[in-house]
Amino acid sequence: MTKRTVVHAMFTVERTYDATPARVFEAFSDTAAKRRWFAEGDGWTIDEFAADFRPGGIELSRFRYRDGPPMRNDTVYQDIVPNERIIIAYSMMIGDDRISSSLATMEFRPAGGGTRLILTEQGAYLDGHDDVPQREEGTRGLLEALDKELKRKRA
Amino acid sequence: MTKRDVTHTTFTIERTYDATPARVFEAFSNPKAKARWFRGPDEWTRGKVEMDFRVGGRETNAGGQKGGPVHTFNAIYQAIVPNERIIYSYDMHMDAKRISVSLTTIEFKPAGKGTRLVFTEQGAFLDGYDDPAGRERGTRDLLDALGASLHESV
Repeated sequence: MTKRTVVHAMFTVERTYDATPARVFEAFSDTAAKRRWFAEGDGWTIDEFAADFRPGGIELSRFRYRDGPPMRNDTVYQDIVPNERIIIAYSMMIGDDRISSSLATMEFRPAGGGTRLILTEQGAYLDGHDDVPQREEGTRGLLEALDKELKRKRA
Repeated sequence: MTKRDVTHTTFTIERTYDATPARVFEAFSNPKAKARWFRGPDEWTRGKVEMDFRVGGRETNAGGQKGGPVHTFNAIYQAIVPNERIIYSYDMHMDAKRISVSLTTIEFKPAGKGTRLVFTEQGAFLDGYDDPAGRERGTRDLLDALGASLHESV
């Protein structure tokens, strides 16, 4: 029988992008753009990516890394303020194990000609399957991928 | 234009109930049992109530004082382990305004013949419309009502 444990934690990651809030927001609201930076990458196979970007709408991604187990991210859009704020709740699974449920707040603030993105994650990490440093590092990696996406579009 | 701000907070409430984890869990999973305690004050008018207790299922519960704003709870179940754990995310609306988004974890742990319930809420309170202290007070009242409902004859 699985020993049930929950670790609750919060972390914040900030990053400044050389793109307007409207453009950074669009990288979240446009399904094709989001798939590029959020799901795709070397070694990753995307089995499914579908997004319904509106309050109450669902985003589902299913993916694998090389020969690893299937992973799944079920997201619901909780709050959307165009060009200013997105709040999602999401749960992650690896194989049959549910590893976490989280709330993530993304705030888009003008900073000079660019945007300061503040991402705050409030998470419940389950049964020892994941930990906070790992999730924070993964989140930083995603925000790095978002930077590449924004530079790609400008080219 | 609305000034946008977000206040992130966490609170935890623990209660011990003189009932098995299975019975306390049922007070969350069974719509009839939940309706006995999960509601506004007696003088409130009841609005729409719907509940689909499964991962990905949604719940709505609306109500408010006569002539006052309608408070609406909209939840989606994120994780369920029968008799052990429930996690849902939810937002609260006051009329058409979204005032908060939260993640709630409820853990049911055996304690002697009873149950220790650990209720953790991680919240994002929006644009100055709500106060976390008020939410915590309201949650304590609900968990009191839950305790009372366990002693009612079914």
